[in-house]
Amino acid sequence: MTGFVARRLLASIPTLLAVLTLVFIIVRIVPGDPAMVILGDQATPEAAAALRARLGLDVPIWTQYLRFIGSALTGDFGASMVTSRPILEEVAAVLPHTVDLTLAAMLVGVVVGVPVGIWAALHRNGVIDVAARLLSLIGLSFPVFVSGIFLLLAFALHWRIFPVIGSAELSDIPDRLYKLVLPALTLGLVMAAYITRVTRSAMLASLSEDYIRTARAKGVPWRRVVWVHGLRNASLPIVTVVGLYVGILIGNSVLTEIVFNRPGLGKVIVGALNQRDYTMLQGLMVIYCFIIVVVNLITDLLYGVLDPRVKQA
Amino acid sequence: MKKLLMALALLAGGAQAQTLRIGMAAQDVGRLDPHFAVSTIDRVAVAWMFNGLVRFPPGSIDPARIEPDLAERWESSADGKTWTFFLRRGVQFHGGFGELTADDVVFSLRRAATASSSAFSADFRAFETIEAVDPHTVRIILRENVPSLLGIVTNYSGGYIVSRRAATERGDGFARAPIGTGPFALERVTPNASAELVAHAQYFRGAPQVQRISYRFIPSDASRDLAFQNRELDINYGRADQTWVTRNRALPGVTVDVFEPGELTILNLDTTRPPFNDIRIRQAVAHAVNRAEMVRWRGADVSREGQSLVPRGYLGFTADNGLLPFDLARARALLAEAGHPQGITIRVVHTQLPEMLSGMQVIQQQLRRAGITLDLQVVEHATFHQQIRQNLSPLVYYAAARFPVADIYLSQFFHGRARVGTPTAVTNFSHCSMADAQIDAARISTNPAEQLRLWAEAQNLLVRAVCGVPVMETLLVFARRNNVDYGYPLTGAMSLGPLITEATRITQ
Repeated sequence: MTGFVARRLLASIPTLLAVLTLVFIIVRIVPGDPAMVILGDQATPEAAAALRARLGLDVPIWTQYLRFIGSALTGDFGASMVTSRPILEEVAAVLPHTVDLTLAAMLVGVVVGVPVGIWAALHRNGVIDVAARLLSLIGLSFPVFVSGIFLLLAFALHWRIFPVIGSAELSDIPDRLYKLVLPALTLGLVMAAYITRVTRSAMLASLSEDYIRTARAKGVPWRRVVWVHGLRNASLPIVTVVGLYVGILIGNSVLTEIVFNRPGLGKVIVGALNQRDYTMLQGLMVIYCFIIVVVNLITDLLYGVLDPRVKQA
Repeated sequence: MKKLLMALALLAGGAQAQTLRIGMAAQDVGRLDPHFAVSTIDRVAVAWMFNGLVRFPPGSIDPARIEPDLAERWESSADGKTWTFFLRRGVQFHGGFGELTADDVVFSLRRAATASSSAFSADFRAFETIEAVDPHTVRIILRENVPSLLGIVTNYSGGYIVSRRAATERGDGFARAPIGTGPFALERVTPNASAELVAHAQYFRGAPQVQRISYRFIPSDASRDLAFQNRELDINYGRADQTWVTRNRALPGVTVDVFEPGELTILNLDTTRPPFNDIRIRQAVAHAVNRAEMVRWRGADVSREGQSLVPRGYLGFTADNGLLPFDLARARALLAEAGHPQGITIRVVHTQLPEMLSGMQVIQQQLRRAGITLDLQVVEHATFHQQIRQNLSPLVYYAAARFPVADIYLSQFFHGRARVGTPTAVTNFSHCSMADAQIDAARISTNPAEQLRLWAEAQNLLVRAVCGVPVMETLLVFARRNNVDYGYPLTGAMSLGPLITEATRITQ
C-alpha cells in the first residue's frame, strides 16, 4: 500500500510542475496591470513603476519564473500582492469553509443520489424511475445561483429557519453547521442528480449480469442480491463520479459561496483574478492542483478496496 | 428537527448585540492602509479608523465647512505657502500604540507624498517641507499655492494620519493590521467574509456608542438585499438605480439615503486621432446624447444631468459653458458635413462591469439614432483600464468623483500633463491641453474670484472644443434600518459610504 501511494505521489510531480508553469504563463498573459489595480485610477506612472519594483514585477520574466518555481518547491508561496498577507495564511483562513461545504455537499449527493439511483434501477421505467430521472434532470438544469436564491427565499425569508448570510466563525461549531445546511443542499442536490443517473445505469448494468441470475437461481434473498452482489459491482463508476465531482465541487463552489456569502477557495480565486494578484493566483492554483491529486489518490485507493483486482494490477 | 435548528440559530445569534452590521457589494477588502485605500470598499472602512489634521463635518463634503480634527487649530502665512497645525493633546492610537505626536503627522504626510508608499503621492506635488516644530506642532511649507491645502490634509485619501511606530514595525503587514486614531479599530479580517472592528474606547471625541462593526463583503446584490430584508444587516450598500431605491423605500422600517459626491460620467473623445480629430464628429456625438433620457433611465432620485466637465457643486463649477444641447437633426447634419452621410462606425473598448456596461449600452442606442454606431469591445474591468491607458479606444466612457474642487477634476482629466500614454499620465483620454494655462494659473492664484473666473474659462474652452461630453451624475445610495441613527444628517461622504462615528447608535 505504501509503495502504491508513493508511486502515485511521485507521478504527480510532473503534473504539478506543468501546472506551475502553465499558471505562471496564463496569469501574465491576461491583460491588466496589478500595480494599476492596487493603486487605482488616479495613480501616476511614477507611482505604478515604484509599486511594480516593490512587487518584483520589474525584473525579467525568466527571473520571476525561476523565483516562483524555487519558492513553490520549498513550499513558500510568498505573500499576496494586494493584502501583503502570506498566501498560506489566506488559504488557511478559507480552506476549512471549502472543506466543510465540499464534504457536506458530497454527503448530500451520496446519501440522496445512491438510494434514489438504486430505487430507480429496481423500478425501471416505472413511475419512480421516471420521477427520479425527471427530478435529476431538473437538478442538473438549475444553476446553483437560481436554486440557491429559491432556497433562501423559502427557508430564510418565508419560513425564517436559516440565515441568508452563510459565513460563520470556525470556532463556533453549532453556527458553522447551522449555516452550512442551505449551501450544502444547493450544491449537494446537483451532485445527487449526477449520482442518481450514474447509480441507476450502473445498477441496471450490474443487475443484468449472469452472476445476478445465478445468485437468484441459487435462492439468495433479493435484498442481498441487490446490496451485496449488485451494488458492490456497480460501485466503481459511482466512486469514479464522486471522486471527479469532488474536484469539480471545490472549483465550482464559487457561485454557492457568492449566493450564500461564504468564504471559500473559489471566491478567493475569482478575487485574485479580478485584482491581478499574480502571487495569490499562483499559490492557489498549486494548492488546488495538490488537492485534486490527493482526491484522485483517495479514489484510486478506494478502487483497490472495492475491487482487489485493481490493486494487483 | 425544527427545534434543533432553532436552538442552533439561537446559539449562533448570541453575539449580535450592539454590533452594527454593514453589507458591502464587494468580494473582499484590499488594503486597509489608508494611503493605499483606493477602492470604495477600502475607503469606507478606512474612514472609520483614521483621522486627518482637519475633517469634513460628518455627513458633509463641503470644503467651506472643513473643521478641526487631529489639529485643534491652524494658521497660514499671508502668501498662503506656510501652514502651521497645532495638534490636540492626549489623542491615543489604537492598540496601545501611544499618544499622537507631530512625528506621527510628519511621518504620515511624508509617507503619503512618496510614490512607493502611497497611491496619492501626486496630491502632494506642491509640498516642499513637512516638519515637526515641537511635539504638538507641524509646519508645512509649499513650493507653490494649491487651491485647497486643507483639502489635502483632511480625512480623505492621503490626508489620513497613521501611527509611525505601527507602520514602521509592521511594514507591508500594515495593510491588514492598520493603526489609526479613529473611533473604531480593526480587530480582524476574514478573507472573503468580513472585517470586524471594535470601538476605540480612548477615542478623543468620546467612546463610540456602537461597540462593534461587522463589515460584511457580499458581492451578490440579490443575496445582500435578501440579508437586509431578513434583518441580518443594519446598513446595506445600494445600487444607484431607481427601481432599487423605490423597492427599498417601500420596506417597513427602512430609510434610503442618497448622498454626494455625484460620480460624473463623461464620454471622453480622443481629439488627436480619427474620427474625433474632426470637431464636427465630436459635436455630432455631443448633440446625439440625450441627458434627460439618461436620467429617466437611471432614476431621478439617484442621478442628474451632467452640465459641465466638472461635477456640479464642486468649487469652481460653472454651467455657463456652451454645452451643446440634444439635437438629433443637427447631429446628423454635422456627420454629413464631415463626410459621413451614411453614418459612421467607431470601435470602442468598454468594461463588462454591469453598471458601466448598461450605461454605455443606452448611450450606444442614443448615438445609433444619429447614425453613429459604437462597435463595443467588451473586456474585463482591469483589461479595460489598461487598454484605455494605451490609447486603444477613441471614446472612453468614464465615471469618477474627486475632491470637490474643480482643479482636481480639470488637472486629472483635461490637463496636457495628464494625457494617457505620457510619463505624467493620469486620466486625460481626450488629449486636450488648450486650458492648461487657465488650470495652472487658477491652481496657484490666491485671489478666490480670479480662481473662479479661470476655472470657468477652462470649462468653456474644454466644453466648446468637445473634449468630452458630460452625461450624468450618479449619487451614492445606502439603505439603513430606522433604528440606526448616524448621529448626523447624511448628505455627503468623501469616503463614499456612511461615516460611523462616536455619535452613531442603534436604538431599540
